[in-house]
Amino acid sequence: MIIVKNLKRYYGTGETAVKALKGVSFEINKGEFVAIMGASGSGKTTLLRILALLDDATDGEYTIRGLQVSSLPEAERSYYRLTQVGYVFQDYALINEMSAAENVYILSMMEGKSRKESYETALEALDKVGLKGKHNRVPDELSGGEKQRVAIARAIAKKPDILFADEPCANLDTNNSKQVLEVFKELNEKYGQTIVMVTHEPWHTEYVDRVITLEDGNLVNDEKKKEVKNNPYVPHF
Amino acid sequence: MINDIRVGGLIAYCSVKRGNKKTLMFIVFVLSLIFMNLVFLPSMIGGMTVLFTGFMQDYPYGDIVIEPSGDNTYINNADNVLQKVRAVEGVRAATKRLDAGASIEHKQKVVGATITGLLPTEEYDISQYPYIISEGDFLGELSRDEIIIGAMIAGTGFGSEIYDNLGEVRPGSLVDVTYSNGVKRTYKVKGIMEGSFELVDLNALVHYKEIEEVYGLEESKATSVVVRIDKQGSEEQVQDKIREAGVNEQIFTWADKSETLIKQAMQSMGAINIMSKFVSLIVGAALVLIIIYINVLNRKKEIGILKAVGITPGSIVLSYAFLSMFYVSLGILAGLTLYFSLMLYFQANPVTFYETMEIRPQIDPMLLIQSIVTMLTLSVIAGTLPAWSVSKESILKAIWGR
Repeated sequence: MIIVKNLKRYYGTGETAVKALKGVSFEINKGEFVAIMGASGSGKTTLLRILALLDDATDGEYTIRGLQVSSLPEAERSYYRLTQVGYVFQDYALINEMSAAENVYILSMMEGKSRKESYETALEALDKVGLKGKHNRVPDELSGGEKQRVAIARAIAKKPDILFADEPCANLDTNNSKQVLEVFKELNEKYGQTIVMVTHEPWHTEYVDRVITLEDGNLVNDEKKKEVKNNPYVPHF
Repeated sequence: MINDIRVGGLIAYCSVKRGNKKTLMFIVFVLSLIFMNLVFLPSMIGGMTVLFTGFMQDYPYGDIVIEPSGDNTYINNADNVLQKVRAVEGVRAATKRLDAGASIEHKQKVVGATITGLLPTEEYDISQYPYIISEGDFLGELSRDEIIIGAMIAGTGFGSEIYDNLGEVRPGSLVDVTYSNGVKRTYKVKGIMEGSFELVDLNALVHYKEIEEVYGLEESKATSVVVRIDKQGSEEQVQDKIREAGVNEQIFTWADKSETLIKQAMQSMGAINIMSKFVSLIVGAALVLIIIYINVLNRKKEIGILKAVGITPGSIVLSYAFLSMFYVSLGILAGLTLYFSLMLYFQANPVTFYETMEIRPQIDPMLLIQSIVTMLTLSVIAGTLPAWSVSKESILKAIWGR
């Protein structure tokens, strides 16, 4: 589904260039729940942003279902982000002046659905993440975990091919983190949702199928979960 | 495009519905002041223009004035001219007048003045002379030995200290008038007129027959025939009709006549007005842009998020255009409320100019429409430009607020 070949991302040029990604290659299959791990500065967030079309690679190829998305013009990338890709930010990135439902259904409206249909889609997505009855609340009236679940609902409401999540539990306590990860797990197992999640918490790997580990901009490990326990790069929970 | 409009509308709606109300009120307040800045001074200048043009129409010239042709001192057979003029469609009233130079003396004080001979009963439909008598009464048909004195030369009105005056002349006082041909007459002052206008308050009025007799004029001569029309603004059409009716004297509209005096003043005021509007527009445009730009900058992260989740830049730009139009529309409404309140206040408490001229600002619907259209156009530009600029930035930079 996703094929990444020799992906590079440099900031700046010449001697002083910061090489965030030094040539990463891997493939992700449909329905996989993948964690990208690594220490701070290893390039995991940079990689996720490029995969979610929020940033451009300096070099390399990136295809989703055979389409070379890395070379798409901005208008098509925007459409791709809207229809094919869901993204969950570390800090929720909700619009504070919109209710939970509005934060979600704005994307359906952008796709051309009617207001009623968009609203129903939003309620369904909010139900899926366990926020039934809280659709009229604005972000300030929700806990951190609830906000993140709204962000997930927003990302999944459009039924994207791939759901990307950038350290979705970074601002949450263990309890809320578990709730969010359970939501991801359920989406993956029940609906076959492909999920790529950046995390630095070793215990999060309990929920995923596969772990890709980066170090200094290089992919140093790519293993299925059952092999994770023997991987020296991924500490045990 | 329709999706862009729907989503843009939703973003703007949510922003207004749940945005900071204090900030909204502040923005609307500032915008209302910008609107006031656009309309208030031109209204005051409009009021001054109306005041001066009103003076010209209400006293010396009416709407149309007919004067002797060529080098003639008088219009010959003014009654014939009047008959023709009164038959013209669109003419409401007309009268003849005789102006003469004279000196007026009272208790050794002498002042020079223009004395206008008029037909008192006809003046009620022509001028404001009968209505500006501050003391005493206006002339009547039998007022042959009576005179109306302007307040400035009587020494009772504002400006008396600037000009020579007769020293507190009152109704009942006797004054000696020596006309330019040397004929001397003694009149009893019947009234003091105060028009708050030098061309009125420095003059005197007597009966038409008096001037006719003093100068030995026959066959209804006149120095001017003053015409009032039914519909303001149709002066030039009526002027043409009077010519077509066979009047061969010089025919002027009040605007033609005031060319040297008032028109120059009006042109100066017009220039000030244009400059003031231009400056107001620049200041208004800058302020609207600054307000909206700051607003957009404060929402840079939001714009980044919206782009990141797939909202098109078009929707984002439209949302700010809607938002900006909403702010400006509220600003215009608040500005109009403030403007009309001030207009009401100044109608009741006019600005006093030279202590006697009361300037009431004029409400010009065209000016209001122009200002509203200008503000709304500015709002679209002010809302669109910064949002367009931010929406073109990289998503990550926008989210990071850089």
